[in-house]
Amino acid sequence: MCIINEDTVLKREKKFYFDVKWLFIIAIVGFLLVFQVFPLIYLVIRAFISEGSFSLSSFERIYSVPLNWTCVTNTLITATLSMIFGVLLAFPLAWLVGRTNLYGKKLFRTLFLMTYMVPPYVGAMAWLRLLNPKVGTLNVFLQNIFGLAEAPFDIYSIGGLVWVLTTFYYPYAFITLSRAMENMDPSLEEASRISGASPIKTLLTVTLPLMLPSIAASALLVFVAAASCYGIPSIIGAPGKIYTITTRIVDYVYIGSDEGLTDATVLAVFLMVMALLILFISNFVIGKKDYITVSGKSVRPAVVDLGRWRIPITILVGLFALVVVIIPFATVFATSVTMNMGKSVFEPGNFTLKYWETIISRSSILRSAQNSVVSAVWAASLGMIVCIIMAYLLKRTNVRGRKIPDFLITVGSGTPSVVIALALIMTMSGRFGINIYNTMAIMVIAYMIKYMLMGMRTVVSALSRVSPSLEEAAQISGAGWLRRLRDVVLPLIVPSIVAGWFLIFMPCFYELTMSNLLYSNNIKTLGVELYNYQTYHSQQTASALASGILILVAVVNFALSKLTKGKFSI
Amino acid sequence: MSKITLDHVTKKYGDVTVLNDFSAEFRDGEFITLLGPSGCGKTTMLRMIAGFEKPTSGEIRIDGVTVSSADVFVPPEKRGLGMVFQSYAVWPHMNVFKNVAYPLKLRKTPKAEIDEKVRKVLGIVHLSQYAERMPSELSGGQQQRVALARALVAEPKVLLLDEPLSNLDAKLRERMRFEIKEIQHRLNINVIYVTHDQGEAMTMSDRVFVINSGVLQQVGDPVDIYRHPSNQFVADFVGKVNFLKGHSENGRIKLEGIDDILDYSGELTGTVDVAIRPENIRLVSGNAHLNGRIVSEYFNGDVNDCRVLTGDKELRVIAEASTYGKFGKDSTVGLEIADFLVFPESDNDYRKIMT
Repeated sequence: MCIINEDTVLKREKKFYFDVKWLFIIAIVGFLLVFQVFPLIYLVIRAFISEGSFSLSSFERIYSVPLNWTCVTNTLITATLSMIFGVLLAFPLAWLVGRTNLYGKKLFRTLFLMTYMVPPYVGAMAWLRLLNPKVGTLNVFLQNIFGLAEAPFDIYSIGGLVWVLTTFYYPYAFITLSRAMENMDPSLEEASRISGASPIKTLLTVTLPLMLPSIAASALLVFVAAASCYGIPSIIGAPGKIYTITTRIVDYVYIGSDEGLTDATVLAVFLMVMALLILFISNFVIGKKDYITVSGKSVRPAVVDLGRWRIPITILVGLFALVVVIIPFATVFATSVTMNMGKSVFEPGNFTLKYWETIISRSSILRSAQNSVVSAVWAASLGMIVCIIMAYLLKRTNVRGRKIPDFLITVGSGTPSVVIALALIMTMSGRFGINIYNTMAIMVIAYMIKYMLMGMRTVVSALSRVSPSLEEAAQISGAGWLRRLRDVVLPLIVPSIVAGWFLIFMPCFYELTMSNLLYSNNIKTLGVELYNYQTYHSQQTASALASGILILVAVVNFALSKLTKGKFSI
Repeated sequence: MSKITLDHVTKKYGDVTVLNDFSAEFRDGEFITLLGPSGCGKTTMLRMIAGFEKPTSGEIRIDGVTVSSADVFVPPEKRGLGMVFQSYAVWPHMNVFKNVAYPLKLRKTPKAEIDEKVRKVLGIVHLSQYAERMPSELSGGQQQRVALARALVAEPKVLLLDEPLSNLDAKLRERMRFEIKEIQHRLNINVIYVTHDQGEAMTMSDRVFVINSGVLQQVGDPVDIYRHPSNQFVADFVGKVNFLKGHSENGRIKLEGIDDILDYSGELTGTVDVAIRPENIRLVSGNAHLNGRIVSEYFNGDVNDCRVLTGDKELRVIAEASTYGKFGKDSTVGLEIADFLVFPESDNDYRKIMT
């Protein structure tokens, strides 16, 4: 049987042919140009133009107005410290969980990633309860034990802010690093061992340098996340009068005066330029490195024996998990069933389920929950379709222009939420012919711009682990482009696709920052609802909502793990 | 029956020419080997036949149908070829049966027929009992057979093999050589085989194409290539060789640095390169008209691999195994040069090209 016949020859490929793949690129680029590039550029232009002419006078206000200058320094300090501490925590944890014979690795992984899957403001709520300088549970506990006259910790401080930011953003680095570590060719490390290096020496001289690109990437993620975080500084910073760029921008937008909007725009542009600059530098470094570490042959990752350190290190990691994950979550649960916040939940008569009843019966809350689910499903599904196609074109073809959408998606993710929301508000409310303000569409678009990269990265890294020869084998067997995608590439990256979907879905589901700026009274989301209860009405109701989210995350995670026969859990 | 024609095929990556003006014709049922050191362009050639690479210029035809030229390009999936990859490329998410059945599935073959054909081809590669296994449960050699079965199952007229044996252990490699050859005979298909292993090329091929630095050096059957290499590179790459300078005059060659004169009936005169294969030098006891001192000898089981110093040259001699230990190190032996090759003088050091 010979497939070559007149039919195929008729489909002559000209030197300058039109590639079907361009259609995908054009569609995606078009979408991003309208809803991402244009709004952001508009923001920049507006920051530079005051009273109809070009000027830098707006930027002078960053340092000439103390209100602005303090929020800039606060942001830089907290984000930098969180980045450093975050990576310092994430690297050893990723190594221990991914590559050693630590006890309870699966449990630890789930615990650490659990933090990633819950909104950061839950952490703020928990630590607020634990480390309040007057009545913080942990403070009181430590005072009683050590007989201290004063509370050892004050959450309403730069240190407190850094602490909560770190504990909630190190999982970003943990995810990136453990994936990279698991995908590394074990023979590289074995070669080091056989050359005479101890496991620790190997870790420091082979594993660590090989992972530098991933470390840089993860540090970037943490920095940008911490600097553009709104939930944590808005809950912890506000009572402590510690303002960051994000909280300041939201305040200005709420004030709504022309001068306020100008200041918000300028701060947003500053934040954006900083984030994108770091993003550019980091990508420039990372872009140079590209290893294919898994071939068509199956390899098993090597496991490092911790020897006599196995038990002590397990205990240490366990303590860390207890303090950073279990205690905060438990605190939120406890708060949700506490009648009187001034007393311990264990005191007789102080236990109640009425806040739980509230969240499953109050129609406004249910409506918000529904809005959150619908918009997050849209964002994750549309986002993953874009990610899969773009990752494929990027990794597997030489189509001209394939890097443009990738670049734009990276820029979108690197852009702080607050900036995206502000830019969309200013451009998509009818001024330029598109008015989607006050609709769910504007939220879905904002979510996609912000969170698509997580899906993109996951799929790209999965794709680079699939050796091209696997696909070539399908091609020579007679499979066309779509067929290869369906039969070989997709099945091999399905776990990553599912992972990517949830990595987009989850942050969208409980999103606060952008929702807080984009919501209207008829489409509130869960994040907004929870934030309002926490700040204005009832911390217990907010805690019950947060607990509900935690339970949902746990259930989804469990179901996913069962569904993929343990191959994948978040 | 199938015929592949390469017509002045050139491949460049930017300014680097990896394959220069390559023309060849692979005929019905032939076992063709593209042989050369790594980086010589042989894999690029194979990938251009498969359709994974486009030639910069030139034309490729399969059965007279142009599949690649300045304005025609038939993608790999439409070429109806079978290919085995160096890394096997067995899909880790499909079991053996599904891997092998895949090309048939794409051809919309009825299920019963798929079943029958897959069973048959698995029988050919001795994997019948492994049909339900996942690739991760197979050894390297077995994965390699899966790849072979998958390439054969749709009965392609041409089978492309990209260094398929290089990841196997020596024993298995040798066995697979004969099995692949056997399968080729049975199915009567064209095979294009890429390798840097001259042993593989020798035992399996009908014709060998020796390539170096993107340039075709010689085409011929294995015996021809070995006995009558067209230049120093081929002589050196295919088999082992001692190079000496010599002066040809009046039907004789006076060797440089060695006290010997060879009878020569060829046409070259003046300074020439003389190539002597180690197995064409015999060790004899007692005085011959060329004598040397044994510098080292290595017992190889089937041969005695030794170095002999004669004049100021050290010659490699591969003698019968029975000579090992007969003379002993540093003893003097007689040498008889039974056969040799003569090339026009060239200053290139051919050993350096080898990588």
